[in-house]
Amino acid sequence: MTDANPVASSENAVNAGAATNAGTLSWQRFRDNGTFRGIALVAGAAVSILTISWCVTVGTAGASVADVWHSVRLLVFGGVLERDFQQMYSIITSLRLPRALLAFAAGAALSLAGVVMQGLLRNPLVSPFTLGVSPAAAFGASLAILLTGGAAGSASWLVIGSALGTALLVSALVLGLSSAKAMATGTLLLLGVALTQLFEAMTSALQYVANENTLQAIVRWTFGSVNDAAWYEVQIVGLVTVVLFPVLLWFAKDLNAVAFAGDDAAKSLGINVPVLRVGLIVLAVLLASVTVSFCGVIGFVGLVGPHIARLVIGADHRYLLPFGALTGGLLLLLADTIGRTILAPSVVPVGIVVAFVGAPIFINLILTRRAAR
Amino acid sequence: MSLVVEGVRFGYRKHQVLFGIDLTVRPGSFCALLGPNGSGKSTLTKIIARVLSPAAGSVSYDGRDLLGLPRRQHAKVVSYVPQSSEAPFELTVREAVLLGRTPHIGLRPGRRDWEQVDAAIERLSLSDLRHRRLSELSGGQAQRVLIARALAQEPRVLLLDEPTSALDLRYQIETLRLVRAVTRDQGVAALIAIHDLNHAARFCDQAVLLHSGRIVADGAPHEAYDAEVLGQVYGLEVDVEHRDGAVEVRPRLDATIGSVPAAPSNA
Repeated sequence: MTDANPVASSENAVNAGAATNAGTLSWQRFRDNGTFRGIALVAGAAVSILTISWCVTVGTAGASVADVWHSVRLLVFGGVLERDFQQMYSIITSLRLPRALLAFAAGAALSLAGVVMQGLLRNPLVSPFTLGVSPAAAFGASLAILLTGGAAGSASWLVIGSALGTALLVSALVLGLSSAKAMATGTLLLLGVALTQLFEAMTSALQYVANENTLQAIVRWTFGSVNDAAWYEVQIVGLVTVVLFPVLLWFAKDLNAVAFAGDDAAKSLGINVPVLRVGLIVLAVLLASVTVSFCGVIGFVGLVGPHIARLVIGADHRYLLPFGALTGGLLLLLADTIGRTILAPSVVPVGIVVAFVGAPIFINLILTRRAAR
Repeated sequence: MSLVVEGVRFGYRKHQVLFGIDLTVRPGSFCALLGPNGSGKSTLTKIIARVLSPAAGSVSYDGRDLLGLPRRQHAKVVSYVPQSSEAPFELTVREAVLLGRTPHIGLRPGRRDWEQVDAAIERLSLSDLRHRRLSELSGGQAQRVLIARALAQEPRVLLLDEPTSALDLRYQIETLRLVRAVTRDQGVAALIAIHDLNHAARFCDQAVLLHSGRIVADGAPHEAYDAEVLGQVYGLEVDVEHRDGAVEVRPRLDATIGSVPAAPSNA
């Protein structure tokens, strides 16, 4: 064995000095350290809680972070609600807090789904909507709105149910087809592209026959927003995320093998790749469809959230999953806070803001990535 | 304690690739799987690695049926070095080698896992590069990372699918030397799909020649290499020279390619 060493190590020494600057290398060495990642996760969680509190205070009512905490305490543990605090309490607990939490939960869910999809399909340009989830949900919602003649608001159970049902049905179709035909991931992506086009056309067709009122309702739905967030929406999106998160984390190691080593090598590392792929895609699709059904189409979070997280904490899914949830949640929360202040008193839907915020971030990521190579 | 392959058949849809392969590799020995493109070398390697499942036949190690084991148990016995691997994400060398511990770790890697990872990195002379990203490495270094990953898996059977094809001469020799050392030191049974007959003769203890999905020669390289058989298998006349127990194959370049012996119909 020793006879192989001298040549190799001399080459290493040469390259170690020349290839990259010492700064990035020591950063990578630092980041490789498990302690750093633990700290980053805890810090991320703390920042998230602080940001949620702060975002709740933003607005015309002049609430303070202390008011927010007081309201949360009252909400959770009960207690005497002071007379002069009543109005503030109701603004915080029935308007601002559910809105902030829904934005955070939706962002976290979409980003988690994005991390899983990107890893499983071994493609960093994939998003939770790649398989056609969002256009399918939009079609389902539009159909329900049209059939009820615009009477059902965007938050009605009929619309939500129709969006969710269509999204799941279409994803099941894509996955069923791909596993029946043992398709490569590339084919899966193309199938998603085809379905996206088809459902967008179908939604356009519905819009074409819709009257003024219905059309407006459909368009408003497709914007994607957390306006008029209600607690039940927070509970459902939050619950799905909180329940699925540990399941995803359990498979983080397997996800690593597929994402980094490829299908063949992952199989040889003891992983049942087809089962893992279908199982995790189902979970990712579930996260994305539930979120889309309640909040409408919010693009970019599922794409950019994972990228930002990867930049900070690295690609290892054991850390990337939790951290990606945090970055996605924060991104959407901040986008919504910008959306409701920038043109106040009108509110810009978060789906629009996040695209404005996300696109430059994403373009920057792509360009710097190329430059680094 | 040997890797035993018996009666393995495999086909992609209508196209039959392997017609009943029987093969034994003893522990501590380094076996070369030779043959022209499409002869089934890669396929056989993938079957033993359980990337593909055979239509018939069995693969066992130490009397244990490897194909019937749960995948994870199988991965603790057999490790596989693919031809090449491209990670679409930025990964450091240490993280990449840690993947080899996948069948061994529960929720998170323990101290023993990291010890094995660092030992494999050390063994492949990658210590200086351990915090580097894979995208910064040269082809030879990246290939060493894949081998380190396979060693971190603590295999009893090591499979390599043409690991040297993309490497320059020095790395080819280095890789082969290293695998031979690992087989000797740790009693691992190694099987390498490889094109270069002379490299195989230099470094391997056993040479298995595949032709159209059948084994046409099996034995120590100096016994297995036969000018007539090789000529038929590769469709090119060759000279086989024996020199001090070593053997060397040289294509006969003055012969015109068209006039070679016809490929055997029954092999």
